[in-house]
Amino acid sequence: MAEATHHEDGHHSNTVRLLRRDITVEGGVYTVVFGILAILTIIEVLSAELLKGAIHDMPEAAVLLGAAKAVILLVIAIIKAGLVIWFYMHLRDENRILAVVLLLPMLIATLSILYLLAIPPGGYSV
Amino acid sequence: MAQVTAQQLPSAAHAEHEHSHLSEEEQNNNLKLGVWLYLASEIVIFSIMIVGYVILRINEEEVVAQAHEQLGVGLVTANTFVLLASSYFMVMGLRAMQRGNRAGMLRWIGATALGGIVFLIGQYIEYSELSHLGIVLGFDAASQWSTLGMRFYAPTFFHGAHVFVGVVWALEVLRRGAQGRYDNNPIGIEMFGLYWHFVDVVWIMLFTLIYLV
Repeated sequence: MAEATHHEDGHHSNTVRLLRRDITVEGGVYTVVFGILAILTIIEVLSAELLKGAIHDMPEAAVLLGAAKAVILLVIAIIKAGLVIWFYMHLRDENRILAVVLLLPMLIATLSILYLLAIPPGGYSV
Repeated sequence: MAQVTAQQLPSAAHAEHEHSHLSEEEQNNNLKLGVWLYLASEIVIFSIMIVGYVILRINEEEVVAQAHEQLGVGLVTANTFVLLASSYFMVMGLRAMQRGNRAGMLRWIGATALGGIVFLIGQYIEYSELSHLGIVLGFDAASQWSTLGMRFYAPTFFHGAHVFVGVVWALEVLRRGAQGRYDNNPIGIEMFGLYWHFVDVVWIMLFTLIYLV
C-alpha cells in the first residue's frame, strides 16, 4: 500500500520539486527527466564540437584537450544513462539486487576493457 | 508403476499449489528480475563490441577523425533525440496504463514504435552515406577505412537490430493492449519498457563513444 501511495505521489503526480521549486508539468518527473536529457545532449554535442575546434586550433595542446573532451563527454553520457536507468527503468523503486545485477557485468566489462587497452597496438612481440 | 505415480502426484500437486500461491506482485518481480538478468548479459555483449571500437579509436585516431569530418553529427544527433523521445513515450505509456488509461497507453506506445521506425530509417540513411564514402563492412587493405568498417558496424548494427526487435515487441504490446490484457496488470508493458530503455541507454553510450569522443 505504501508502494501504491508512493506510486501515486512519485510517478503519477504532475508536480516535481526541482532546485527548490515546484514544477507542474504533464508527465511530472518523466517529462522533467526528458527535458534534462535533451539539454544534456545539446551540451554534449556543443562541447564536442567546441573542443574539436580547440584541438584543431591548438595542436600543441591536443593530447590534453582530447583527454578533457573524452572525460567531459563520458561524464555527461554516464549521467544521461543513469537518469534513464534510475527514473525510466524505475531502479529507484526496485530492490537493490537489481542494481547489483546491472553493475556486476559493467564491472567485469570495465576490467576487461582496461586489460585489453593495456595490450600494445601491434600485440606482444616475442 | 501406478503406485509410484500416485506417490509422485502429491508432490507435483504440492509444487503446483506452492506456485499458485505466488502473489501477483511476486510473479511480477520474478518476471522483472528475468528481464534484468537478460539485460545484464546484453551489457557484456555490447561491451565487447564497444571495446573493439575504443581500441581502434585509440590506436588509429586519424582514421576516426577523418570519418567524423566526413559524416558530421547532424543526422546522428537528430536520431539520438528520436530515441530519447521514444524512451519518454514508453514510460508515459506505462504511466497511462497504470492510471487505467488504455487509450492513452496505446497512443504513447504507438508513438514509441514510430520513434523506433524513424530511428531505423535514420540509420539506413547514415549507412547509405557511409557506403558512398567507402566505409563498408568488409576488409579492403587498399582502403583508408579498412580497419574502421567492422568496428563501427558491429556495435551500431547490433544496436539497430535491437531497435527492430523493440519495434516488433511494441507492436505486440499494442495488439495485446488493445485486447485489454494489461488492464489489470501492466507487467507486460513494464517488461517491454525495461528492454526499450536499455536500448536507449546503450545508444547514449554509443553516441558519445563512437560519434563524439
